[in-house]
Amino acid sequence: MSRSSAADTSTTLPPLDSPEVQAMHRRMRRRSGRGRIYTYAAAVALAAWILLPIYFLFSMAFTTQETVRSYPKNVLPFIPFSADTMLFFLESEGVLRGLWNSVVVAVITLLLSTLISVPAGYAIARYLFRGRDLFRLSVLAVRAFPIVVLSIPLAVLFLRAGVFDSLYSLALMHTALALPTSILVISSVFASVPYELEEAGQVFGATPLQSFRHIIVPLVLPGIAASSLFTFVLSWNEVFAAAVLTLENRTLPALLLTSLANSPDAFQFAGSFFLMVPSIIFMFFIRRYLFNMWGQVSK
Amino acid sequence: MKAKTWRRRLVPYLLIAPAIVYLALFFAYPMYEGLMLAVYDDDALLPVRDTPTLAGREVAKLPQGEALRVLDRQSQEMSGGEATELLTEQWFRVRAEGATGAAVQGWVPESRVRVREESATGVPQAGTVRPRLGESADPLTDVYADASDQSRVVGKLEQRAPVAIAEVAVLEVWFLVQSADDPGKAAGWAPSRYLQVFDDGEAGRVHRGTSGEFTTAFIERMFDDRFFGPALRTTLLIMVVLIPLQLVVALVMALVIHARIRFSSGFLYAFSLPIGMSDLAVGILFFSIFTGNGLLNSILDSLGIIDGPFAFLTAETTNWIIFAIVLAELWRATSIVMVILVAGLQAIPDETLEAAELFGASYWQRVRHIMLPLLRPSIQVALILRTILAFQVFAVVIALSGGDVVTVLANESFRQYSDLRNNNVASAYALFILVLSIASAIFYLRSVRAESEVRTS
Repeated sequence: MSRSSAADTSTTLPPLDSPEVQAMHRRMRRRSGRGRIYTYAAAVALAAWILLPIYFLFSMAFTTQETVRSYPKNVLPFIPFSADTMLFFLESEGVLRGLWNSVVVAVITLLLSTLISVPAGYAIARYLFRGRDLFRLSVLAVRAFPIVVLSIPLAVLFLRAGVFDSLYSLALMHTALALPTSILVISSVFASVPYELEEAGQVFGATPLQSFRHIIVPLVLPGIAASSLFTFVLSWNEVFAAAVLTLENRTLPALLLTSLANSPDAFQFAGSFFLMVPSIIFMFFIRRYLFNMWGQVSK
Repeated sequence: MKAKTWRRRLVPYLLIAPAIVYLALFFAYPMYEGLMLAVYDDDALLPVRDTPTLAGREVAKLPQGEALRVLDRQSQEMSGGEATELLTEQWFRVRAEGATGAAVQGWVPESRVRVREESATGVPQAGTVRPRLGESADPLTDVYADASDQSRVVGKLEQRAPVAIAEVAVLEVWFLVQSADDPGKAAGWAPSRYLQVFDDGEAGRVHRGTSGEFTTAFIERMFDDRFFGPALRTTLLIMVVLIPLQLVVALVMALVIHARIRFSSGFLYAFSLPIGMSDLAVGILFFSIFTGNGLLNSILDSLGIIDGPFAFLTAETTNWIIFAIVLAELWRATSIVMVILVAGLQAIPDETLEAAELFGASYWQRVRHIMLPLLRPSIQVALILRTILAFQVFAVVIALSGGDVVTVLANESFRQYSDLRNNNVASAYALFILVLSIASAIFYLRSVRAESEVRTS
């Protein structure tokens, strides 16, 4: 339509109900309709590419051990459901302890990193101070550093300090890994709440602390919760440092990694189910903050 | 008033202080230590001294592993520190009747006393002086004022004389050593814990030193490691195949999300699911697909494409393993690229795209000539992020290959640390990964900037 109007300005426009214009409309609708179909097809195909493997793994985690060993397996929906694999995994030696260790480390990491990054994030979002850009940049740079580079010297240092193979020292390491992301995300959460709201509170007679407590905190709490969840999942998943820094007190990923060579498939599948569950729940809750968390790296 | 503004200016620094302290303590410092582990050998040199005490003057430094001639030995009180592999000698403070008949009290080495009585806890209580063998040997045993044969002789004992043991001192043996290869170097004393002595105490070698020096030995050992070549090759191969593929898939995902179709948020959730997933779990997930009785074989078999399971993950099929690793990484890490690209697309004003549409640009033309150029900064960030992460691929590889058949750099760092207990070479690998990461980040930043300069000029 736009093309016709651009071309025909010199002469008189054809009436809107003329056959040419209607044909053009039809063509455009058909084209965009076909485009829609392609888009939907791509969307469904990509979603299947992501979801089907997860579905297969979960069905392997909840079936009989015979099914896990069997060949050929039935194609997807026809795998018999059973708690057999899961019970076998949970009753294996060290698993419950590993799960508990993972929870402990992840919770300590969550608390510690949230405690440290909330003030830092607030400072970046609210204050203009000398060195602010330097601080932001170094936090970004820290995030890009390889975990591998950090784990081994930390293991050596912890060994020297006598705190090797301890859940607390692993949590300290995980906090160092989580802090940069956590600081940046929390600062973007604070930045999304206009400072005028805080000022307005003070205009109406609240002290700065009161207006922070009653106006800002309720607004940023969900974002901070999302960032804490992210920290939890990061610690829950982290395997390299956990394998390097622990020996007896294995977390779940470290336990899985070091027993890969001599554990049955059923054990591994059920184990990776446990590794995946928190992240699936977590993604559901942080959908809104997805772009806060990762989109802003490009700014 | 002035004091108040000054204090107010301090507030942001106080707020970021915990983060800075924490990152300095648990990030910068270990990073520095890691760097040093890779290039600094703590045990490289052993100083030898002119007297067998730590107070002695240093006369030479012998490198670790140096062959030695042992010229003399002597015992000294222990200088503390961890007592591994050290050669000790006991000295006894004894009371006895001396050779002259007078009472003697002083120190003799354990080699001169046969212990006859011990307390319940094994502490020597009494014994007799050992006889000396040989015609020419002095039949009398010297008693010293201190637990050292350099000290004053306070008396002499007859052989087989009974002695009461009042005190036991554990001393460390020191050796007077000289370099066997380079006899021009001064001979000096060194404690036994740093030496290995053999050939009846005639020869030895420097086991480890006490003072360090900068060295490229660990980095050379990394380069000479038989796994280094394959690890580097596989890491680069995975990167070269994976990253372009990932960029394309992520772009398609981002365009799908950006098209704002129905259930868009559901699709976004599905696409972004792998972001939070553990690499180990994803490795096991793809193991479950590619393993002998896994999903892929089951499907191929039921479709009649193959007859019986095909072994994808064996030493003979390393290409299939690498293919599986690439697929696993594509599955796992494309989402993060997608999120960055969607954020970039959202920053493009709708008006720009509508204008293009108005001028008759097809969808493909809009992607090619408007979205992609405007997405360049996002793509740059995504490329840097992905390249750095691709150097760290680790758990996926172990889950799919066991870590031997196909190996990558991060895995070698782990192997050096956990199997070979060689922290230095492990750190050299880590340092190598760091250097590659920084180099590739600089490369991307440079190349993109250079391109945009060409455009504007």
